[in-house]
Amino acid sequence: MSKLIKKLSSLRFTITLICLLGVMFIIGLWVPQKSLVKELYLQWHKNSPQLVSFLDFLGLTTVYTSPITVTLWFFFFLNLSLVIWQRIPLVRYRISLSEKMIVDPERAAGYSFSTSFPLPQGVGGENVIAVLRKKHFTVLGNADGFYAVKNRLSPLAFLIFHLSFFLILLGGVISVYTEFIGYLDLAQGETFRGEPGRYNASPRPKLPSFGGLPDATFTVKSIEPHVIGNTPTSIDVRLLDGRGGSHTVGINIPYKTGDSSFVFKHLGVAPLLVLKDAAGATLAENYIKLDVLQRKPDRFSLAGCNFTATFYPDYMLEQGKRASRSMEFNNPVFFISVERGGKKIGEGIIPKNGSLNFAGFRLEMHEMPYWVRFYVVKQRGLPVLYTGFALATVGVIWRLLFFKRELLGAVRGSGGARHLLVAGRSEYYKKLAEDEFMELFHNILGKGGTVS
Amino acid sequence: MAFWEIIFYWVTLVIYSLAAGGFIYSFVFKNPRVLPRITLLVTSGFIAHTSTILARFQATGHLPWSGHYEYVLMGGWFIIAGTIFVGWQNKSLQGLAVATVPLVIIMMGYGYMQNPGLTPMAASLKTVWLYIHVYFAWISFGAYALAMSAGVLYLLKSKSDLLPVPNPAYEKYPSLDRLDELIFRYVVFGFITDTIMICAGAIWAKDLWGSYWAWDPVETWSLISWLIYGITIHLRVTFKWREKRLAWLAVAAMSTVIICFFGVNLVVNTSLHIFQVR
Repeated sequence: MSKLIKKLSSLRFTITLICLLGVMFIIGLWVPQKSLVKELYLQWHKNSPQLVSFLDFLGLTTVYTSPITVTLWFFFFLNLSLVIWQRIPLVRYRISLSEKMIVDPERAAGYSFSTSFPLPQGVGGENVIAVLRKKHFTVLGNADGFYAVKNRLSPLAFLIFHLSFFLILLGGVISVYTEFIGYLDLAQGETFRGEPGRYNASPRPKLPSFGGLPDATFTVKSIEPHVIGNTPTSIDVRLLDGRGGSHTVGINIPYKTGDSSFVFKHLGVAPLLVLKDAAGATLAENYIKLDVLQRKPDRFSLAGCNFTATFYPDYMLEQGKRASRSMEFNNPVFFISVERGGKKIGEGIIPKNGSLNFAGFRLEMHEMPYWVRFYVVKQRGLPVLYTGFALATVGVIWRLLFFKRELLGAVRGSGGARHLLVAGRSEYYKKLAEDEFMELFHNILGKGGTVS
Repeated sequence: MAFWEIIFYWVTLVIYSLAAGGFIYSFVFKNPRVLPRITLLVTSGFIAHTSTILARFQATGHLPWSGHYEYVLMGGWFIIAGTIFVGWQNKSLQGLAVATVPLVIIMMGYGYMQNPGLTPMAASLKTVWLYIHVYFAWISFGAYALAMSAGVLYLLKSKSDLLPVPNPAYEKYPSLDRLDELIFRYVVFGFITDTIMICAGAIWAKDLWGSYWAWDPVETWSLISWLIYGITIHLRVTFKWREKRLAWLAVAAMSTVIICFFGVNLVVNTSLHIFQVR
């Protein structure tokens, strides 16, 4: 049993696990993943059904949640727990402070740096100790023999850094099991009251294992996109919540309420289209949400007619062909193609507040507001996760930048001259620590030390 | 590209190329006397590099944040800034430019072939997290590049020391013991800033994309790179990997960073980290 624990807690095992996890991640980059690139995956499945089925069986098309990866993570955290548990006594020992640490610098074991400095007139061991204290060393003893340590508690940061992994894991697990994800398309003027049926059917909303759906009520008051050339520079979506509070949503600025976030994901236009017959009677009238800003056509139907709409935000004719000068909304125009009963019955341009006549019908565009797609996500556990991030950052900085330095010193006199004998050591570094210690004592005592 | 930007860009490339040529001359002809002049060249190149960034800033109204061209322009600036800073602090470290300067030349050449057009600041980049995430990414890139450079210098110097008459060009550089520790020091610094970069990126991703971790190719590769450097630190501290093994590790680990910054988007087009304006 102890052999097994020793093996499970070894650093060799940690490195093996990390390498295997790395291999799994690399597989995830090369093998199309069902959850990330579904269309690509389906296409691939169609082309090579046997290969993909085999990879499915091995879990390599859902590699990040496959049983192999989960097992590796399990052993990783088991290994981490054992390592932390075994290191606690060592950490306690390393941060301890006692008079026993005051040893003769000439005979101290494990101190790679050893020097002797002649003490100038008027400078005693107590002065050296006072300066060391000023330089944030904790000093035990006196001029006859002292032990000084800087960043004594640094080994604690080892625990903080590695424990932060557990917080990140915990936050991640809580998030996964309480997670709701859905897409919500809302046009200017529309109100959302948290109705589950309002979420887009495709992709299907992900329901949480624990907890409810986002509880939010708001109305989209205005949507203002800003584009320079072909670069979207900002978008301002103004919401009015159920209590009358105003919120502005933009890229990087989600609307947050409780544990839910409404993240701006996509923009489209929702023109008010009115279809009239030859006599001018209205046959149909509706705001149509069109997903046309990626320069792809979109389809809609009105009164039995099927329309295909292509959008040109800054319309121009280039060598006789329809084009857009930029993505700026300077001259928004739709090119509409109409079919009825499988036959094309008309096509043409319809500008904002303009109309298109075809086959005895008239299609009018009265206004052209926008619609937005929100990525709605609700998950608990983020505070735990972020605490994990904060502790990881603090831990790694503390442990690796503020590492421990130890000094032993004693003033000795021979033939009327007095010398300060010093021995020193540092975590991680030997030669660079020697440079640091030499500089420290040169600053305190002036030059003249000899390293042995 | 703006007019003055083009001028300074080429001036920078020419000066850096001269500096790289100077290093080759110094090593091949065993002449250490030219090294101070090379440092002067690198510093002049850095001034021209800074001027390129300022010229672009004047034209676009923002620092270069987006697109491969801007990314290498700024990333290269951080690498050279780090090289000059450590060389200024310790003269014997001026030789680290032997690997960082050629790396920056290749990066800038690659960037020039991408999308150097002037573009306004994309909406997705208008957040305070950009500064934290991207700056720390560049700083870690710079630190890892310095670790790689110290590794290259270590390997060259240790090879030279085996010769009956060691190449005097290496005399001005730190001793092998110190180079060995410097590799570790730069790896440690890079690892700290890498950790901050990943944490900040996750928080930014939550607001921008709605998910703090989405196994995006660049995210995943940055995790792989972080794990590799984490292993490097453990191998050094616990298994006492030193000298040539550590030097080779620092050089090899740099490839994961280069793949993360440039390689992933060459082979995968599904990343949200497109380093492009959208």
